[in-house]
Amino acid sequence: MTKLDVYDPAMCCSTGVCGPEVDPALVAFAADLKWLAEQGITVQRYNLGTEPQAFAANPQVLKEMEAGMDRLPILAVDGHIVSTGIYLTRDQLAAKLGLAAKPKITIKADGSSSCCSPKSGCC
Amino acid sequence: MALPSVDIRILFFTGKGGVGKTSLSCATGLALAEAGRQVLIVSTDPASNLDEVLGATLSQAPTAIPGAPGLFALNIDPEAAARDYRERMVGPYRGILPAAAIASMEEQFSGACTVEIAAFDEFAKLLGDPAATTDFDHVIFDTAPTGHTLRLLTLPSAWTEFIASSTGGASCLGPLAGLEKQKALYAATVAQLADAGATTLVLVSRPEHSALREAERTRGELAELGVTNLRLALNGVFTAAKPGDAIAEAMTARGRQALAAMPPGLARLPRTDTPFLPRGTVGLDSLRAMGADRISAPPSYLPMPEIAMPGGLDALVAEIAAAGHGVVMTMGKGGVGKTSVAAAVAVALARLGHTVTLSTTDPAAHVQDAVEGKVPGLTVTRIDPEREVAAYRDEVLAKAGGGLDMAGRAMLEEDLRSPCTEEIAVFRAFSRTVDEGKDRFVILDTAPTGHTILLLDAAEAYHREVLRTQAEMPDAVRSLLPRLRDPAFTRTIIVTLAEATPVHEAERLQADLARAGITPFAWVVNQSLLASGTTDPLLAQRGTYEVPFIERVVGNPSRRTALIPWTA
Repeated sequence: MTKLDVYDPAMCCSTGVCGPEVDPALVAFAADLKWLAEQGITVQRYNLGTEPQAFAANPQVLKEMEAGMDRLPILAVDGHIVSTGIYLTRDQLAAKLGLAAKPKITIKADGSSSCCSPKSGCC
Repeated sequence: MALPSVDIRILFFTGKGGVGKTSLSCATGLALAEAGRQVLIVSTDPASNLDEVLGATLSQAPTAIPGAPGLFALNIDPEAAARDYRERMVGPYRGILPAAAIASMEEQFSGACTVEIAAFDEFAKLLGDPAATTDFDHVIFDTAPTGHTLRLLTLPSAWTEFIASSTGGASCLGPLAGLEKQKALYAATVAQLADAGATTLVLVSRPEHSALREAERTRGELAELGVTNLRLALNGVFTAAKPGDAIAEAMTARGRQALAAMPPGLARLPRTDTPFLPRGTVGLDSLRAMGADRISAPPSYLPMPEIAMPGGLDALVAEIAAAGHGVVMTMGKGGVGKTSVAAAVAVALARLGHTVTLSTTDPAAHVQDAVEGKVPGLTVTRIDPEREVAAYRDEVLAKAGGGLDMAGRAMLEEDLRSPCTEEIAVFRAFSRTVDEGKDRFVILDTAPTGHTILLLDAAEAYHREVLRTQAEMPDAVRSLLPRLRDPAFTRTIIVTLAEATPVHEAERLQADLARAGITPFAWVVNQSLLASGTTDPLLAQRGTYEVPFIERVVGNPSRRTALIPWTA
């Protein structure tokens, strides 16, 4: 079974509502992961703030973090890192995991925040 | 009876800040210990002065009180508990994870949430685990100011429901994740609180309208939580020794009026009256006097000493008015009259022709009462946490929930049920209000000490978060902390009474503000009996007792002090 591991920056919740302003990209990403799980993908999410052991135990992840904290979030499929510093969209996730990408959810486009920039903390 | 009778093992004291919860719980504990019982007093108040009242250096483990065999006390400092918790979570990864990762983890554990959770965790250990207090016949909790107490009491069921309904660990458990294992302990804590056979709750109030109203609100909220084994303890009941003194008569009359108008829910509770004590309640002897049914008044009036007294508010108001706009915040321990000082400053500024908004984050919100009659140019607003939370939830759901499928929306709604949500919502309201000070005067009557500090801490944490992220951010939020730290924009007035504990607490508050980079603009000594002209023997004794405290306040670093007499 295909496994997706997500290494999040330290944040107090996965949808970002705990920040001073909600990040729609994080909200959408949380929903996308749920969709992936429904497609039979094993999804495991680690928050640096509460599950540091997962980061410490993975040499590849550690190496990325030493290069810079902006490498988080890190996404790994079956142990291989497939993206750093970005939350992939549902289409991108589906492509990395070899799934047909539908049904697609849409975020109301307000022009500014369809995705996190690589430098943002995303929460 | 001067003290509540105790027939139950666990006792909570709760009430508005400054009503004497610590004094009464210590006096009750001391009386029980002197009757041969083993008693443990526990403070969970972030602004606790248990050490001072008992005259002992306390820690997070039970400490024997010198001079009182059988009496033990411990102090849970939620901020210290949070630091310990943070270190437990982060410490093992130092040297393993990159320094930047460690720093970002620490930042996540620096918020108000972590303080609350750490405090509750300590509280649950004592209450939920019988072995923790098995050596004691009685455990007395000197709880925090009312808002905090209620959060503490409502947390168990909130967390229990939250843990039960959270699936897959993907949601907003946040800092609580490390505590999830303790579900059984939390369940035991919830059961303990609602069990009338194990727990009694004493509502402490003074014979004043606002304190009684607050006690009634607490009673109602506790009833909703299933806590009904309540007592009412009235502290500081005063009766003029003889007629003829305007101050003493006014004080007596105000107390009687307040008691006559006591809400029926409170009036039905078993009640004890503790008399007005002229010399404070610091030290074991004072605590014993508190338990005595009668106190011996001095035989006759002894004139109060004459000292160089600070002036009234006028000079402060003139200096503030000269700035033309900005924010004034009154701070101090609950019950010292922050609201009335804020209102007096707001009214004075409005009368000078300025546009003024008077706003409160105090959950009890007596601001409306304090501003009697309408003053042109003055607007009164309130930061209502419940309303702010509702508005925030609606805004988030409208903004982020629209494009989500059912499952995504359910997850978002679950995250919005987290305790962090209230904190964020209130913070946003606070920043909006401060923002209005750009072109007018905004007078903020802030909530009691501990809460105020958490609010500022939260502001700082969010400020750093704001700089770190590039998410869209209201300008009001972005500029909040620099504004709070700008002495030309924000002026903080520390309000105190000329008594040991309020002065001590105000000094701690000043030190906390200094850590946040804020220096107070001025100090105000409120309700001074020394300046009131009373000739009542008891009140004059209290007035004389004020002298060293007024002298101490005059020496404060802001170099501006005003004094407001007790007026009939």
